Amino acid sequence: MIVVVGLSHRTAPIAVREKLVLNADGLPDFLRALVQRPEVSEALLVSTCNRVELVAAGRPGQDLAHVAQACIDALAASAPGIAPHLYAHVGGAAVRHLFRVAASLDSMVLGEPQILGQVKDAYEVARKAGTVGSVLHRTLPRAIRAAKRVRTETAIGGGQVSVPSIAVDLTRDIFGDLSGHSALLVGSGEMAEAVARLLKVGGAKIVVVGRTLSRAEELASAVGGTARPWEELRQCVVEADVVVSSTSAPHYVIDFDMVSAARKSRRGRSQFFIDLAVPRDIDPRIDKLDGEFLYNIDDLSKVVSESLSTRSREATSAEAIVGREAEGYDRWADAEQATPTIVALRTRLTASLEEELGRSLRGKLKHLPPDDRAALAKMLESAVNRLLHQPTIRLRQAAIERSSDTLSLEQLSAAISELFSFDADAESVSAVENEPPEADAEGNLGLSLSLRARAASSRS
Amino acid sequence: MEEFAWIAFYLGVIAYSVAATLFFLDLARRDGSNVRAQWAPRLLALGGALHAVYVITASFLSHICPIDSLRFALSFSALIAVGAYLVLRERLRLFALGAFIAPIALTFLVGAQFVEKSSEAVLGVSRTLLMFHIAANVLGVGLFLIAGAAGSVYLVQEHRLRTKKRVVGGGSRLPPLDSLDLTAHRLLLAGFPLLTFGVVTGAVFTHQLTSFGSADFMRSFLGYATWLMLGAVLVLRKTAGFRGRKAAYGTIAGVLCMLIVMLIYAARASNGGSL
Repeated sequence: MIVVVGLSHRTAPIAVREKLVLNADGLPDFLRALVQRPEVSEALLVSTCNRVELVAAGRPGQDLAHVAQACIDALAASAPGIAPHLYAHVGGAAVRHLFRVAASLDSMVLGEPQILGQVKDAYEVARKAGTVGSVLHRTLPRAIRAAKRVRTETAIGGGQVSVPSIAVDLTRDIFGDLSGHSALLVGSGEMAEAVARLLKVGGAKIVVVGRTLSRAEELASAVGGTARPWEELRQCVVEADVVVSSTSAPHYVIDFDMVSAARKSRRGRSQFFIDLAVPRDIDPRIDKLDGEFLYNIDDLSKVVSESLSTRSREATSAEAIVGREAEGYDRWADAEQATPTIVALRTRLTASLEEELGRSLRGKLKHLPPDDRAALAKMLESAVNRLLHQPTIRLRQAAIERSSDTLSLEQLSAAISELFSFDADAESVSAVENEPPEADAEGNLGLSLSLRARAASSRS
Repeated sequence: MEEFAWIAFYLGVIAYSVAATLFFLDLARRDGSNVRAQWAPRLLALGGALHAVYVITASFLSHICPIDSLRFALSFSALIAVGAYLVLRERLRLFALGAFIAPIALTFLVGAQFVEKSSEAVLGVSRTLLMFHIAANVLGVGLFLIAGAAGSVYLVQEHRLRTKKRVVGGGSRLPPLDSLDLTAHRLLLAGFPLLTFGVVTGAVFTHQLTSFGSADFMRSFLGYATWLMLGAVLVLRKTAGFRGRKAAYGTIAGVLCMLIVMLIYAARASNGGSL
C-alpha cells in the first residue's frame, strides 16, 4: 500500500504553494534521498501549479503512518512554514486520492486534461531516478488507466470553461477557419487581450482601437496586431469580422446605427460582436439583425457555467469509475499480502529440489545427455507448479475474503512458516518482493531459470 | 447478374443506413472518440459505390439508359449528391452535413424502387432532347439536395447561436455558418444553369404535349416556382447582400418545390404514366 503526502489548492493558498517549488534538475536527487530513509522504499513526486504531492511506498512491514511522517518531514525540510498545510492520505484512501488526482477530479478546473500528463511525467522521472519499485509500478499504471477511462467514458473534459476560449469557439462556429478574417479589439482589458491572443493564434488579423493611440499601439504590439486611432472606429467596424469590446465607457461605444450602416457596406457578411464590458459597450439590439451575432459577458459566463455544471454532473459517473478501479486495486493489494508466503514456499521447494537434482546429476544420472537433463529440470518445474497451484489460490483467497468461517491469511501463513521453517529464508523473500512485477509473479520465472542453470552447471 | 445487382442494392442500403446512424451518433457524441466520425464518411462512400454498381448493373440488365428511367434517374440524383458531398466535405468543413445526405441517399435509393422502371417516351418529343433534359435535371437535383441540406443545417446552427444554447461537447460539431452559406451558394450557382436548361426544355415539351392535365400544370408551375425562387436567391445575394438566414429560407423553399415536382413525376410514373 501507499501514502500520499502534499499540499494543493484546497489546503494552501498560492503564497504557500509557491514556496514548495522543487526544480526539475534536483528532483531525482530529492527522491533518491527520500528512499534512503529507513521507512520509505519507493517514491515519486507530482508537481503542478496547484499541487505538490509525494506518492510513496514503505518498506516491508513498515507502518504506513511512519512512511507518511517521513514524507512530511522531507517536504517540510525543503520549504519551511508549509507543514500546517500538508495533508496525508494512507492506504486505500491514498490510492483513491491518487486515482482522483489523475482523473482530474481533484483539480481546480474539473476535467482539465493536463494533470494526466503531469502524473505520467512524475512516474517517468521517478522511474529514471530508480525510486519506483513493485508497488508503484503496479499503482501508477492503474491510476493512469482509471484516468483514461474517465476521459473516454464521461464528458468530464467536454466544453470550454474559460470566457476567452468560449468566445473563440463561438467565433469558429460562425467563421470556421479564422485565417483571412479580421478581429477588432476596442479598448483594453485582460480578458479582451486574452481573446485577441487566441484569435491571433487561430490566424486572424488583429486591429486595436483605443482612445489613447499610444496605449492602443502598446496593446497591438503585445497581441501582434496593428493600432488605429479612435476616430477610425466606424471604418474599423465595417472591416472587422469579429469585434471584441472592453472599454470603461458609461455608454454604448458601438451603437445600432453604426452596425446597421456597416452591415450595408459589408453586403450581409456575418459579424460577431463580443462585449466584455460592464456597463455594456455594444447596443444589444444588434443581436436582432440578420447575420449579426452578439454575446455579452453574461452570455459567455452562462456558457462557461453550463460547461462547468455539465462537468459536475459527469463527475458523479467519473467518481464511480474511480471507485471501481480503486476497488480493483484494493483486491489486488489484498491478494499481494499472500505473496511473501507463496514466494517463501516456492523458494523452499525449489531449493530442496535443486539440491536433490544436483546430487543425482553428479551421481547416478551423470550419464544423462543435455537434452534429458533439460527435460528433467522442466519436469521438476512443472511438478512444483502443480504442487503449489492449490495452496497459491487458497492463500490469495484468504487474503481477499477475510472470512471468519475459514482460516485467515495470517493463520495459514503462520502454519506454513512453522511447517517449513521459513525464518531462515526471510531475507531472500524480501529481496524477491522488490523485483519488478514481470519477474516476481508467483516466482515461476525464477524457479525455471534456477533449475535450468543447475542442470547446466552439473553438466559442465 | 441480376442477383449481383440486388446484392449491391442491399449492401448499399446497409452501408447508407449505418453511415446515417454513425453521422447522427457523431452529432450527439459526448466523449472524445472520433471513430464514428472517421467511419461514417467511409461507409457513405462505400454505399455510394454500391449504389453506382446497382444503378449501372440494373440499367444494363434492363437495357435502359439510367437517365431514361425515372427509377434510375431518382437514384442517380442521390448518387450525385453523395459524390458532391464527399468531394466538398473536407474543403468546406461540412462534416455534420452527412447526417442529412446519408438519409436522403437512402430514401432515394429505396424510394426509387417504388417507381416504374421502364418508361415510354412522349410522342412527338425529341428523344435526344429529352435525354439532355433529364440528365440536366438529375444533376441539378443532386446539387440542390446538398444546398437544401446546407440551408437546413445553417438554420439549426444559427438558432443555436442566437439562443445562446451551446450543447457542451456536441454543439460545435455542426459546420461553421459561413461554410454552410458558401456551400449552399456555390451549389446553387452550379445547379442553376442546369435547372434553367431543364425548365426551358420542359417548356418546349409542354408545348408539344397533346394532352395537358392538372398534374402537368402543377408540375410546370412548381418547376417555374423553383427556378424563380433559386434565381431570386442568387440575384438578391449579388445585388442586395441577401445572405444567411434569408438565403437559407429561399434555398429550402426552392428545394422543397423541386422535391414536390419529383414526387409528381414519381406518382405519375408509378401509375404507368410517361416521363
